[in-house]
Amino acid sequence: MVTLDEVLARRNMTLTQLSEAVDITLANLSILKTGKAKAMRFSTLEAICQVLDCQPGEILAYQPE
Amino acid sequence: MQNRDRLIATSRIVVRLAMVVNRLFLLAVGLGLAASFLFDRPVSQFLVRSAPGVDGARELVGLRCEALIGLVMAVATDRLLVALGRMIDTATIGDPFIAANARRLRTVGWSLLVLQLLDIPYAMFSRYFPNLGSGGDGDYSVGGWVAVLLVFVLSRVFASGAAMRDELEGTI
Repeated sequence: MVTLDEVLARRNMTLTQLSEAVDITLANLSILKTGKAKAMRFSTLEAICQVLDCQPGEILAYQPE
Repeated sequence: MQNRDRLIATSRIVVRLAMVVNRLFLLAVGLGLAASFLFDRPVSQFLVRSAPGVDGARELVGLRCEALIGLVMAVATDRLLVALGRMIDTATIGDPFIAANARRLRTVGWSLLVLQLLDIPYAMFSRYFPNLGSGGDGDYSVGGWVAVLLVFVLSRVFASGAAMRDELEGTI
């Protein structure tokens, strides 16, 4: 599961601002945030972590079904 | 690109035309088969007149069996052409690599297999009922069977390709 929301809230950042900073469309970030994405590129993960100054584990979590 | 568009447009017309011709054939054979039951005596007499010395009743049975095979062949050809037409439609839109086309390709494979299998009894008719003018010449081409195999393999390749593309589309 993607916990991007929590990190964004901690950083006082909106999804639109993140979208501009990482150069990924708002639509794609919304897909990622809502957990509808099938996969994530390392480059995307790197860009998000760089902008949010966080580790991948802070925006991704495993939740058993 | 323009050449490819022209090729797709031409294929579309050819397939549509073939579909119409095949359905007319289906209708004609269906009517012919029904007529062989409704007017069995005149049909039998006609068969004897066109090939004196033959057994009219036996020829009539042969004619009906041949018509029945023709009907099944026409239905298989229709399924094939419908699937092919829809695949061409998706190519026209510019999005042919979808799971539905893999299923359509499989339908084409099954249709081709039915047509190949029906070639066997059809060729037998040419031997047992030479006066009916059956088109079967008993020459079973290896190419046809290879084509069936090829289409089934291609449908698997297509299905894998479509799944990979789906996954890629969901990758952020």
